[in-house]
Amino acid sequence: MSVADDLRELSLGRAAVYVVLLLVGAFYLAPLESGLMTAIKTQDAFFSSTPFVPPFGDGFTLEPWYEAWAQMQGPLSDFSGALYNSAFVAIPATVLSGLIGSVAAYGLTNLKWRGQAGVLMLFVAGMFVPYQSVLVPLTRFWTIVGLQNYLAAVPFLQSRVGLIELVVTHTAYGIPICTILFRSYYANFDESMLEAARIDGATFTRIYRRIIFPLSKPMFAVVLIYQFTQVWNDFLFALVLVSSPTNEVATIALNKLQGSMVQQYNVQMAAAFIAALPTLLVYVLFGEQFAEGVAGES
Amino acid sequence: MAELTLDNVTKVFDDNGSDIVAVDDVSIDIADGEFLVLVGPSGCGKSTTLRMIAGLETISGGEIRLDGDVVNGKPPRDRDIAMVFQSYALYPHMTVKQNMSFGLEESTDMSDGEISSLVTETAEMLSISPLLERKPGELSGGQQQRVALGRAIVRDPKVFLMDEPLSNLDAKLRSQMRTELQRLQEDLGVTTVYVTHDQTEAMTMGDRIAILNDGVLQQVATPLEAYHQPANLFVAGFVGEPSMNFFEMEVRDGRLVGDQFDYPLSEETLAAVGDADRVTLGIRPEDVQLVDEGSGDHDFGTVVDVVEPMGNENNVYLGFATDGPADFVATIDGMRTLEAGQPVVARIPESAIHLFDTETGAALRNRSLDELEETEPNL
Repeated sequence: MSVADDLRELSLGRAAVYVVLLLVGAFYLAPLESGLMTAIKTQDAFFSSTPFVPPFGDGFTLEPWYEAWAQMQGPLSDFSGALYNSAFVAIPATVLSGLIGSVAAYGLTNLKWRGQAGVLMLFVAGMFVPYQSVLVPLTRFWTIVGLQNYLAAVPFLQSRVGLIELVVTHTAYGIPICTILFRSYYANFDESMLEAARIDGATFTRIYRRIIFPLSKPMFAVVLIYQFTQVWNDFLFALVLVSSPTNEVATIALNKLQGSMVQQYNVQMAAAFIAALPTLLVYVLFGEQFAEGVAGES
Repeated sequence: MAELTLDNVTKVFDDNGSDIVAVDDVSIDIADGEFLVLVGPSGCGKSTTLRMIAGLETISGGEIRLDGDVVNGKPPRDRDIAMVFQSYALYPHMTVKQNMSFGLEESTDMSDGEISSLVTETAEMLSISPLLERKPGELSGGQQQRVALGRAIVRDPKVFLMDEPLSNLDAKLRSQMRTELQRLQEDLGVTTVYVTHDQTEAMTMGDRIAILNDGVLQQVATPLEAYHQPANLFVAGFVGEPSMNFFEMEVRDGRLVGDQFDYPLSEETLAAVGDADRVTLGIRPEDVQLVDEGSGDHDFGTVVDVVEPMGNENNVYLGFATDGPADFVATIDGMRTLEAGQPVVARIPESAIHLFDTETGAALRNRSLDELEETEPNL
């Protein structure tokens, strides 16, 4: 066999690989593509064509996006709307559970004290309690607490009491997984580095602030992305805890679109994309650190 | 600067209910400005001892005093000590300058300006000024080592603790840093406790060395004392490279009787042996002389097994039997050529032998230093 034959065989093999890759890629992207095509079609075009075929001529419209935006959010300047409410819940819940998880992991990993193992067990156990099983106790809990009475002095917060309950609930629910993630990261820290800091005169809080925290950036990216996606996409807690229609979060608003008399598939699809956009944005923003954190570099 | 006293210091680790004694009743007085090397095989408790001085391990028994003050219960930050770690333990997210400033920022009320000028000064002393704005990840091992030293020096502590600081460096750099560390310590005059398993470091760097085995202090002495006047069998075997040769012997009728040879003793030596009936005879490789012809009771016919040329000297492994394994080592001049299989006469001079009680390991008689003192008047 000549070199040319070798090359031909090689390129044939490569071509086959690419064809397979393309097919697999198309298979995975098909639902997304169909959704996007549906969102830019008129209702008539949707009914007269297959979902994944792009719209032609009169069939093309951006109207569903305007309508979806109006229903999901409305004007941004109002400080209300479902997307705004979702952000109001997701951002504090993510940041809080990340911070608390990080501090807890530091205390459970890098400091030595009696009963540590038991406390860690409790944290881990928290991860295995399913959402559904706590729904009733959770609503009872918030009824007994009566948060709105405490917030009477601040009308801005009082009117959003359901959202604040969501923030606290999601923070609590996020702490175990955040703690475990940070713990595995901190366990790989060089112990003598922390000892050096102790000898250098730093207290344990100063060690956290000046050494542990700055070195945790990659893991914070992981936790922020994961936790933000969890909270943003949560439907169950929001459904149970939020009663006022002005406090609807994105997942609830999305669900309501489906409930109307006439199914507007294009508007539903556009709304779904709008609701998914923030999580995508967070991933793009923290993607690099995310990769670093997952790879376990410190 | 300070005196450091270890008074019956003991450390017991709890290992699932059973107690493990890591450091057993160790007492050492370390004088102001002294360079003390803690040396011993791995697991002998030397690092644990150092960590107890640092306050990183609790003390199970005894007292550690710094300038007369008991520091047992004090956290590390209140002890005014600085430590250099084997892994350097630099803060990876900070620049060299920030690494060196950290301790001063945390433990003193100095202004930023004062800290900055101190750091600059120390960096100059260690010739790491050009590295001040870099991060540890961008530095070589030797440079990181210097930064770790600088971080300790800049704090001007009462005591330096060093935990095998040179063992991550390559051989050439290690010997260079060894000299430099010694010079620095002399210039600064700070009391230093230095832990190592490397007996070359122990011999060359310390004012005194403390030899530990299994948590028990074997001997505290100057390097030469430990070499020539070892307190027991362990010290004799641990200090020196190649190690001292040992032969187990029985004392019978004023002679030492062994499996391979008999060794007559003088009255004086016999008196030192006392009533011990099993002794271990020790002789340093460089004290074994290879002579052309046997002429006395202390000359023995041997056969060369292996020759290790070291350049300036040769290590010759000798066996009593013609085809057996080597029984002992002799160090001879590097220019003298010997070949494997060649018969030679080994002389073991009585003035150079060490005798140890085989049961207790205690030294019964160490070599006489008379002739050494003649050749080395500065000893």
